[in-house]
Amino acid sequence: MKTYILKRIALSLMIFFAGSSYAQVKIGAIYDITGDLNIFGLQQINGLNLAVEDINAKGGVLGEKIKVVTYDTQSALNKYTQFAKTAVLRDGLDAIFAGLTSSSREAMRPIFRRANMPYFYSTIYEGGACDKQTFITGPTASQQLKPLIQWAIKKYGPKIYIMAPDYNFGTISASWINEYAKQFGGEVVGEDFLALTVTDYSPTIQKIQRSKPDFVVALPVGPSQVGFIEQFAAAGLKENTPIVSSNYSTGNEQVLLSPSAGKGIIASHVYFMSLNTPENKAFLTRWFDKYGKTDAISPEAVTVWNAVHLWAKAVEKAGTTDHTAVIKALESGDLHFTGPNGLVTMEAGSHHTRQNVYIAEGNDHYGFNIIKTFPNAAPNYESQVCDLIANPKLAKHFTPSTK
Amino acid sequence: MEIDFLVTVLLSSLSSAAILLIAAMGLAVVFGLMGVINLAHSEFLMMGAYAALTITKAGVPYLLSIPIAVAITMAIGAVVEILIISRLYGRLFDTMLATWGLSMVLLQLAVLLFGTATPSINLPQFNISIGDYQLAGYPLILIGVAVIMLILIYLLMTKTTYGMQARASIQEPEMAQAIGIESSRVNTFTFALGCGLAGFAGAVLLPIIPATPSMGMAFAVKSFLAVVVAGPVALTGTALTAIGLGGGASITASLLTSVAGEVFFFIITAVLLWRYPMGISAKWRRKL
Repeated sequence: MKTYILKRIALSLMIFFAGSSYAQVKIGAIYDITGDLNIFGLQQINGLNLAVEDINAKGGVLGEKIKVVTYDTQSALNKYTQFAKTAVLRDGLDAIFAGLTSSSREAMRPIFRRANMPYFYSTIYEGGACDKQTFITGPTASQQLKPLIQWAIKKYGPKIYIMAPDYNFGTISASWINEYAKQFGGEVVGEDFLALTVTDYSPTIQKIQRSKPDFVVALPVGPSQVGFIEQFAAAGLKENTPIVSSNYSTGNEQVLLSPSAGKGIIASHVYFMSLNTPENKAFLTRWFDKYGKTDAISPEAVTVWNAVHLWAKAVEKAGTTDHTAVIKALESGDLHFTGPNGLVTMEAGSHHTRQNVYIAEGNDHYGFNIIKTFPNAAPNYESQVCDLIANPKLAKHFTPSTK
Repeated sequence: MEIDFLVTVLLSSLSSAAILLIAAMGLAVVFGLMGVINLAHSEFLMMGAYAALTITKAGVPYLLSIPIAVAITMAIGAVVEILIISRLYGRLFDTMLATWGLSMVLLQLAVLLFGTATPSINLPQFNISIGDYQLAGYPLILIGVAVIMLILIYLLMTKTTYGMQARASIQEPEMAQAIGIESSRVNTFTFALGCGLAGFAGAVLLPIIPATPSMGMAFAVKSFLAVVVAGPVALTGTALTAIGLGGGASITASLLTSVAGEVFFFIITAVLLWRYPMGISAKWRRKL
C-alpha cells in the first residue's frame, strides 16, 4: 500500500513537471557566466536576456512569453556536455543558445543533433561547422578575412606578415590569408604562430622587422596576446607597419590597450559600437539602461541578440515551436532580421549568416571609426562546402585542408 | 646573420629572462623558501597590476603607484597568511587546495570589481634603434629592475636579522621559538613579502601586459616551472633558470618559430627535472 501511494505521488509529480515544462516557450542559454572565460560569457548572456526582454515586451512569440533557462558552465568544458544533456533530456526546451570556444561547440553538437534541437552558436570562429540542427550567427574566418585582406593589399601593399595564435582558429585563419593573398595579388612574407601562454613578443617583433612586410595581420586571442600590440607599438613600429586584424575587438581589446597603442589598428568585424544606425542606437540605449555604461559591448553580445531574434522569427513563420518545423523555417532562405549591425540573413544551405563586415580604425578613446562597409558579406567557405538542403544528413566540421 | 639582428636577439632574450625572473621572484620566496605552493600567485600578480592601474588613474604618477601596489598586495597577503596559510603549514596538498580556491575567488572578485574589460592608460614608452631594428625601451629597463630586485631580496634574506629569523622559522620552527623568535609573525611577513613581490611584478609589467582578471595565468605556469627546476637554493637558482629557460626560449623563438621557443622551454624543463629531481641546486653549498 505504502509503495502504491509513493508511486501515485511520483506519477502525479511527473505529470505535473512534464505539464509545466511545456506550458510556455522556453529557451536554454549555456554560457560561461563565471570562471576565466566569463569576460565573453557575460556579454553573451546579457545579449540573450536583452533580446528575450525585447521580444517579450512586444508580446512574445506565438502570443507566449519566452522563458530563459540558464546554465553556467563555469568555463569548464566538461560542464558543456553535462548541461547540454540536462537541457535536452530534462528541461523540454524549444531552442538552445550555447557555447563560446570551438571545443565547447563540438562537444555539444552531437547531443543537439540526436535530440533534433535547434542550436545557435554565435561566436566568431574558424568556420566549417555544418549540420542540420546547428545555426550560426557569428562571422567565420573566411567571411571576415576576405574583405580585410582585399582592402589591406590595396591600401598598404602586397607583403603580409601573419601573427596568429597556435590553435585551430589561428592556423585556419592563416591558411585563408594565404589563399586570399594569392587571389588579390599579395604575398605572405612570414608567419609566426604563438602558444596562448606567450607573454613576451620581442622574438616575433624582430622577425617582423626582418621580413619587412607592408602590413601585419595580427590575430591575438586572449588578454595576454593583446600585449603583442602594446609591445609592437612600444617598439615604435606601428607608424610604418600597420596592424590589421579580423578578431581584434571580439574581447573588447581596444579598451584593454593603452589609447596610444590602440590608435590606428585596423579591425574587420560584423559589429562595432560606433555604428550609426537607428537599430544600433536603440540597442545601445536598451543595453545602457539595463546594464549601465560600465562595459564596452562586444560583437558577441550582438550576434547572440540576432540569434534570438532570428529564432523568434522562425517560430512565428512556422507557427509552432516544433523543432523540425522551426528548423525548416530557419533554412527557408528568406529568413532575415535587421540587427544593430544591419541586415542579417540566414543562408538556407550553410546555416551560416550573411551580414555586413565593417572595416574600422581604432581611435585614441577606446573606440573605432568605421572606414568601409562590405554589405551582406557571405560566409564564403561554408556556402561552398556545406549544403544542408541538398544533403540534409551532413554532419561535419569542414576545415580547409580536408576539402 | 647580420650583427644588428644578433644584438637585438641577445638584448631581448635578456629582457625575456628578466620578465620571467620578476614574475617568479614571489614564488621563489613563498615556494622555494617556505615550501608553500601558492596557487593564487597569479592572482596576486593581477591585483598588483590593477592596484597600480587604479592608483595611476586617480592621478598618482605611475612610478609612485608601484610601491603602493606592493603595499596593498603585501597587506592582502598578510591577511591570507593569518586566515588560511598559517593553519596549513606542512600540509602541502591542503595548502594547494586552499590557495586554488582562493585564486578562483580573487579572479571573480576582480571581474565583479573591474568588469570584463578595464580601460587602460598611456604609460611611459620609448624605443631605441640598433641598425635596422627597433626595440621597445621599457623591457630593457626591466633587465636592470630584475637585477636590483634579486640583489635586494638576496641581501634581505642573508644579511639581515629578519632574513635569518625567516629561514629559522621555516626550517626549525620549534627551535626558533625556543630562542625567542616569534616564528608565526615572521612567517606572516615572509608570505606577505612573496605576495608583495607578485604585486610588484604585476605593477611593473603593466606597461607591456594590459591588466585583465586572468593576466597572471600566462606567467604562472612558467614561473612555477622555473622555481621548481631551481630547487632548494631558491634565489640564485631561479635567477639561473630564468636566464637559461626564459632567455633560451626567447633566442629559440627568434631564430626559429615561437612554437619552437615554447617547445624548448618545456623540453629543457622536463630534461632538467629528470636529471635533477630535487632541482638543479640540490647539491649547491649556498644558502639562497
